[in-house]
Amino acid sequence: MSTVPAATAATAPPGVRAPDPPRRGRRGPRRGAVKEALAAYGFLAPGLVLLGTFVFVPLAGAAALSLQRTNGFGDGVWVGLDNYARLFTDPVFWRATLNTVLFTLVVTPGSMALGLGAAVLLNSVLPARGLFRSVLILPMAVSGVATALVGVLVFDQNSGFANAVLRALGLPGVDWQSGGTAAFVTVVLVTLWWRTGFNMLIYLAGLQGIGRETLEAATLDGAGPWQRFRYVVVPMLGPSSFFLVVMNVIYSFQVFDIVFVLTGGGPRNATTVLVTYAYDNGFVTRDQGYAATIGVFLLVVSLAFTWLRWRTSRTKDLVG
Amino acid sequence: MPLTRRQLLAAAGAASAPLALSACGGFSTSGRDSGASASSGTVTFTTWGTDAELAGLRAAISSFEQANSGVKVTLNSVPYEQMFTTIDAQLQAGNPPDVFRVPYYTFGSYAGRGQLLDLSSHLDSGFSDRFTPQAWAAVQNGGKPYGVPHHTDTSVILYNKALMESAGVTDVPTRIEDAWTWQEFEDVAKRLRQKLPDDKWPFAYNWQGNGVTRWLSWLFEADGRFLTEDLTAAAIDSDAGRAAVEFTQGFFRQNLVPQNSSVKSSTYAADLWYSGTTAMNFGGAFLVPDATTTAGFEWGVTFPPKNVRSAGDFGGNALVATKAAKDPALVAKFLDHVTQKQPMADFCAGASLLPTRADLVQEGIEFTVRPELSPVFVAQAGAVLPRDSGQVASPSMSAIITVLKDQLEEAFVGDQDAATTVRNLADGIGAAVAR
Repeated sequence: MSTVPAATAATAPPGVRAPDPPRRGRRGPRRGAVKEALAAYGFLAPGLVLLGTFVFVPLAGAAALSLQRTNGFGDGVWVGLDNYARLFTDPVFWRATLNTVLFTLVVTPGSMALGLGAAVLLNSVLPARGLFRSVLILPMAVSGVATALVGVLVFDQNSGFANAVLRALGLPGVDWQSGGTAAFVTVVLVTLWWRTGFNMLIYLAGLQGIGRETLEAATLDGAGPWQRFRYVVVPMLGPSSFFLVVMNVIYSFQVFDIVFVLTGGGPRNATTVLVTYAYDNGFVTRDQGYAATIGVFLLVVSLAFTWLRWRTSRTKDLVG
Repeated sequence: MPLTRRQLLAAAGAASAPLALSACGGFSTSGRDSGASASSGTVTFTTWGTDAELAGLRAAISSFEQANSGVKVTLNSVPYEQMFTTIDAQLQAGNPPDVFRVPYYTFGSYAGRGQLLDLSSHLDSGFSDRFTPQAWAAVQNGGKPYGVPHHTDTSVILYNKALMESAGVTDVPTRIEDAWTWQEFEDVAKRLRQKLPDDKWPFAYNWQGNGVTRWLSWLFEADGRFLTEDLTAAAIDSDAGRAAVEFTQGFFRQNLVPQNSSVKSSTYAADLWYSGTTAMNFGGAFLVPDATTTAGFEWGVTFPPKNVRSAGDFGGNALVATKAAKDPALVAKFLDHVTQKQPMADFCAGASLLPTRADLVQEGIEFTVRPELSPVFVAQAGAVLPRDSGQVASPSMSAIITVLKDQLEEAFVGDQDAATTVRNLADGIGAAVAR
């Protein structure tokens, strides 16, 4: 019985026996590839099951809920796109959207700049840099609720630490809780304190991947410290920056615990963000269809931003 | 034998599988634990509570089990923050507990949406006679009882004696008939404002968070309503409504309360008082144990002010049975037991809460902590009328709470005038009940 495949036999010159293909070599990789794929799916399976059960199925459920009017009990009433139409005429929704965007625009570059500055400092030969790194990373280990409670102690406008310091310096106290702008500032400051450590950690990892010889080459080419930082270090941190922009924007769009505990969205909705507004609708007013609509809006905006950033980033794939 | 990378990964995968599965299992198990009873001799009961409240409930359960051989009541205690997300999820999943505890202002959300057991046919005739009329009105929906009023609470004024004396206020009302009028109360507050330093305030009101329903006390004192008698339309657009908004708005405009004590503030009135920032605090009896240990000053209590009449918020909680309860008769028997005289008296005395039984209100109770204060709270609870507490049982209360928060915030720390506020309240409440 010939083992030569039909195609090989057909093209072989008459009288010349086509060489036997390496049997093990031909079947080996195929069996190996199948096994490898099975192993890969096996390892992926727990994650995929969890992701599917706790992310994708609830997401589909939320999308379906956003097309209904429901109080959370029993079957909802299908109302088509009514909830989406309602978004356009709801002034609190637009206020929450504006606050969320403003918060994102301030906190994302702010926490990245502070994180980069701290990472550069702590990547140098600073004495006790291990201690400083730990101090900056520590807020990451604290829950958002606990962080916000610390914020309440600091920014209580009657008996808080911030106003005590201002008054000790002979300055007037600030209405941190009853003034709209000041309340927004407290949310930003507490978030920056909480998030700088994370940004620093990612940048620190990026900085340690930049070869010393690259910086030496730049120095030999006559680049000063600022030029080395601006034209060598910052571009080489592209992947870190790409990751941090995406993560910071998503985290900012999802901000909830700090606002919920620190200001409750007040005064007069000055700090209401999309997630706190969705929470109020879903669990206080019990208008769960409309709350799901706000959630779907948030998802679409986050996905759109991530896609846009992915398409426009030139440095996302560089090694950094 | 050295491990290969493949073996290591396989081991890690195997090790993580039980964790992943246990995560799933844990999620579903919590629902099963507190779900409906498996046999007719079991009642499942989900609640939150302070240590004192849970001790009182456990004692009542114990006496019920002793009186009913073979019956088991499973108490599932959860943190308040998780209470209603847990209950809602269980109701949606079809495995709720037989009995749960619910604030009166949330009761209507469940009763009005077909989630609770109509107790009419399971309770003896004359069962309602044991309760005060205002307590019984708070557990009605469509004229039928969907729960039992387990206890109540209402706000009085807790005052810092030293700060009051510093402003020359030494004579506070000791009988409800002598309670300050709105005008007298404002005069006292203004006197305190003049004497107190800039970083202290005359008082703070406990309307933060879901406490916004306590603002309704001012409306009731002006003899107003926020819902019509059949609870189907707004009734707040009235002289009483405007008077209540205007008077309470004045607290902020005249700097009588801290500006950060509005309805949406994250700073609670009690914390301002504990820290010595305010001289007077509106608060319920549940604060008495905390105040006794936390407040580092001498303090007393007096009655809140009256206008056309005395009134108050009908705080506290009901016990309700879910529609899916496996053994409605046994559940009704349990609800009957926990509202009998001795269990209720023990619970209220230990937890510093007020009874809903007419006989206990008549006889009075003594709190375990600061018993001499009990008569003030009990007398004030008597000022709540059934027509007031009945409105708070509206099925639309959760949506009404949002309307109250939004509009009162605009009036208090915004520049919205009283007439506009009342008009917006009427529109919002009307839309909420029509939804």
